[in-house]
Amino acid sequence: MFTFLRRVIRFGWHNFWRAGGLNIATVFVLIVTLTLITCLFISEGAVNHIMDQIKEKIDISVYMTPDTSDEEIELIKNKLVAMPEVQEVKIVSKEDAMNQFREKHQNDPVLLESLDIVGTNPFYASLDIKAKNPEQYAAILEVINSDSLKDVVYKVDYVEKKTVIEKLSGFITNVNTGGLALALALGVVAVLVAFNTIRVAIYDASKEISIMRLVGASNSFIRGPFIVQGIISGAIAALASFIILLLMTYFLAPKIESLTSGFNVFSWFISRAFGLFFLQLVSGIALGVISSLIAIRKYLTA
Amino acid sequence: MILFENISKIYKPDTVALKNVSFQINPNEFVSIVGKSGAGKTTLIKLLLREEPPTTGRIVYAGKNIAEIKNKDLPLFRQKIGCVFQDYRLLPHKTVFENVAYAMELMGATDDEILSDVPRLLEIVGLEDRAKHFPLGLSGGEKQRTAIARALAVRPEVIIADEPTGNLDPYHTRDIIKLLEKIYELGTTVILSTHDKVIINSLGRRVITLDNGEIIRDEEKGRFIL
Repeated sequence: MFTFLRRVIRFGWHNFWRAGGLNIATVFVLIVTLTLITCLFISEGAVNHIMDQIKEKIDISVYMTPDTSDEEIELIKNKLVAMPEVQEVKIVSKEDAMNQFREKHQNDPVLLESLDIVGTNPFYASLDIKAKNPEQYAAILEVINSDSLKDVVYKVDYVEKKTVIEKLSGFITNVNTGGLALALALGVVAVLVAFNTIRVAIYDASKEISIMRLVGASNSFIRGPFIVQGIISGAIAALASFIILLLMTYFLAPKIESLTSGFNVFSWFISRAFGLFFLQLVSGIALGVISSLIAIRKYLTA
Repeated sequence: MILFENISKIYKPDTVALKNVSFQINPNEFVSIVGKSGAGKTTLIKLLLREEPPTTGRIVYAGKNIAEIKNKDLPLFRQKIGCVFQDYRLLPHKTVFENVAYAMELMGATDDEILSDVPRLLEIVGLEDRAKHFPLGLSGGEKQRTAIARALAVRPEVIIADEPTGNLDPYHTRDIIKLLEKIYELGTTVILSTHDKVIINSLGRRVITLDNGEIIRDEEKGRFIL
């Protein structure tokens, strides 16, 4: 058995280097396939980052009536914080609101002067509420609009944000579903191209296979070297694809970071390097071996 | 040793390659099968190697109907029969040494056996100085001698030579036939298929003559008459 394995590996190794052009084509197609599939993972990481950024920016502001005391506001805050859907509740006092307004419009003297003319603080205290998921704002809103809070709540700005929130929720769902469908479609196309390239390579060796059979080689003795070739092609392609992606992410990181509001693709890649390389190696070898096995099957019928 | 019993082979739709052929080949016999192109010589060899099944009849090898050999046992059966073809059928990516060694490797011979037997076989066929050459760099005669060495490597009970001199000049033809006779004298059954009149008439051994898929003559010390 050991001698058999040693010979099969040796034949596979020699055949790989002797076959030349077709093996280069196979490895090249496998590199493209693996790079494409890994790029889909990277783009999913980027999309998730962008979504997180957008989600961060969504909140509901609940303005309290002028008569509401600080204690009452604190109680409402605690009630909301206890909800499983709520991630964070921040109290913005009347003073905070005015300071924020002044800061925001510091270059607009007319607006600031008009505020001075009014003489009093015209702003309302409010609660800025952040949900864990954009889809959960409806549940929070239900509590805010309940009868128990009717007298203290002056206005909720969710209505203004509602359309944006709904659109975003839909967009997130669509991006996830569409991304998955695209990844699957591209994956299937890449696998088919890789399979066909390997099939052509084995077709090229069909005459040789018939000679081996005639000399009395068993099916496993004929099949073995092609499996070894598949393993070598897959491993080389995985290594090459990994290096290409490493360089690509390194050089494109600044551009992608500015386009995606802070997604550092190189750090993302490095932090998952081991897992990604392992995935590429397994996929590459599996693709090479399975394609070889399917392609050679028809030449091995007795 | 080999028995063809009422063998017919019809290719679809209605091409008759062999018609009710029966003959027997005994151990350590040198038999030539002659006939014009299309007479059925190659079909006969394909059936014996079980590359194709006969339409009717049975072929018995060493007491066993070859149709009953299981697919997984077919390689072992083929290892008992050494083959030499007109187009050599050498593995192009292997050297002369590797082509001969390949046949031994698939039999499970050890590295030591290969290292001692292959040079000896190359010496028998006169190719000891061509061991590291690839088939592309060999002459027709050298390719055929490599094929013979490979056929011998498995220590076969029978050697089948299908038009082995078809692509060779008269000098190399004589060379190859001498080699086959030498193999026969060493105790191996040889089946030679050819349409070369000169070879057959010089051999003076058993000749089975095929014409349009039928045996029209089977003579000890036969001659090429068509």
